[in-house]
Amino acid sequence: VQKMGVNFTVSNKETVKSSDVLFLAVKPPIIPFILEEVGPDIEARHIVVSCAAGVTISSIEKKLSTFCPTPKVIRCMTNTPVIVREGATVYATGTHADVEDGKLLEQLMASVGFCTEVEEDLIDAVTGLSGSGPAYAFTALDALADGGVKMGLPRRLAVRLGAQALLGAAKMLLESEQHPGQLKDNVCSPGGATIHALHFLESGGFRSLLINAVEASCIRTRELQHLADQEKISPAAIKKTLLDKVKLESPSLSVASASKVSLFNNKSKKN
Amino acid sequence: ISVGGVALGAWPRVAMEASELWVGFVGAGRMAGGLVRGLLQAGKVPASNILASAPSDKNLDAWRELGCRTTHCNLEVVHRSTLVFLATKPHILPGVLEEIRPAVGSHHIVVSLVAGITIQTLQRLLPPWTKVLRIMPNLPCVVQAGAMVFSRGSNAGDEEAALLKSLLSSCGLCEEVPESYIDIHTGLSGSGVAYVYLFAEALAEGAVKMGMPSALASRIAAQTLLGAAKMLLETGEHPAKLRGDVCTPGGTTIYALHQLEKGALRATVMDAVEAATIRACDMAKD
Repeated sequence: VQKMGVNFTVSNKETVKSSDVLFLAVKPPIIPFILEEVGPDIEARHIVVSCAAGVTISSIEKKLSTFCPTPKVIRCMTNTPVIVREGATVYATGTHADVEDGKLLEQLMASVGFCTEVEEDLIDAVTGLSGSGPAYAFTALDALADGGVKMGLPRRLAVRLGAQALLGAAKMLLESEQHPGQLKDNVCSPGGATIHALHFLESGGFRSLLINAVEASCIRTRELQHLADQEKISPAAIKKTLLDKVKLESPSLSVASASKVSLFNNKSKKN
Repeated sequence: ISVGGVALGAWPRVAMEASELWVGFVGAGRMAGGLVRGLLQAGKVPASNILASAPSDKNLDAWRELGCRTTHCNLEVVHRSTLVFLATKPHILPGVLEEIRPAVGSHHIVVSLVAGITIQTLQRLLPPWTKVLRIMPNLPCVVQAGAMVFSRGSNAGDEEAALLKSLLSSCGLCEEVPESYIDIHTGLSGSGVAYVYLFAEALAEGAVKMGMPSALASRIAAQTLLGAAKMLLETGEHPAKLRGDVCTPGGTTIYALHQLEKGALRATVMDAVEAATIRACDMAKD
């Protein structure tokens, strides 16, 4: 991160103080703990953006309202390909976040891929589809490459070609007005290789597997959210548990940096 | 009135106008009956211009009720018709062709409905000058909503193809195709009608399980299929798009479709079409 020129600190407080847009990029169970720690430093100007799966806007607002009467909260769900600027991001704005605050976030996230606003109750479905989606794609690509290798291709080439095939197909779909079913038909010459292959996919219930996957991921997200909402475990207990875990994993880090720091240290650009 | 088995002299060549056309059917079973009903419904050929032959009166009664002429003599059909439909069972056809061969002239147009008998076989068993065409209809020709494909033999030209198409378009969709598509048509649409009946039955059963009376459920199931098919044909949209249009997010349809996908319905249907097509090919080889 430092190599990229981003300022780095082990103090969460410092991060908050010198930011206008604050991305909370910690694991969901740690969110309440973080909010308790940085709550006092949150001011009216701050836009708090949570990327934590299953953590609701209302739970964040509830925690912060003990420190700040009208916290601006935006919840977003993105995915790993933001790394290559082909992310898929959605966001929902909280009670006190203005339209401009949402637009600001949209501008930021649109620079790393597709970004659009949604109702909060759709975010779990988005998690199931595009949040987890890259994992489905990686699995598919691995298998496609295996297929290529089985039929004689060297592994590297197989991976390269498989990835390019999916990339190209996705690009065609995004740039086309046509339904994916039509695009599929366009590839299938009568009695040809592709239709034979597709028959195998259908026989294996390929489509239903994908539907199942999206559904399972979405449902699990809701379950985790439900567990978190119940707040069965107190933040103090989480803190202790995680501190112990971190100590076990990396004894060289100081106690205060048990949680990750936000990646972005933004001064918001006021146009 | 059934005419006795006296061979008549060959009739002179007649004009190609449908209303002046003399149409004969050798064999008067269900498929032939479907075609003739379509022809009559569309008013292309008067019933009195149609002559059908069959071994017994069992099927011929219905033809007479339509106003057609009937006979027990295949030769008579050939003598008195220009356009001759062959509609016997496959194992009977070779014998019938041997019988009528002497009476077949260059003015005749012979159209075979017989499953599994190739143009090559037909041409082999008929005089070398014969204009032969082969057609594969399907059952809904009876209600003028059929799907038919046909191919031409060596001597059949554009005129014959155009005539056949114009006559039979009254029964539904009628397209000329390479002969290799005919077995595929069998798998898709000839047998395909049965797949639809199966699906309709299952739909209705689902409704009955959920509490709807069976007769009502059956009618609604049929109307649903009819309506969906009509939309497909009239909008020309891709079925996947039409499917998507029906699926509101998180709604009933997508839940149901998920069940269908879990059951690999698509693959099963593909398997069915494939099986019927392959069977048609195999039967033709016998």
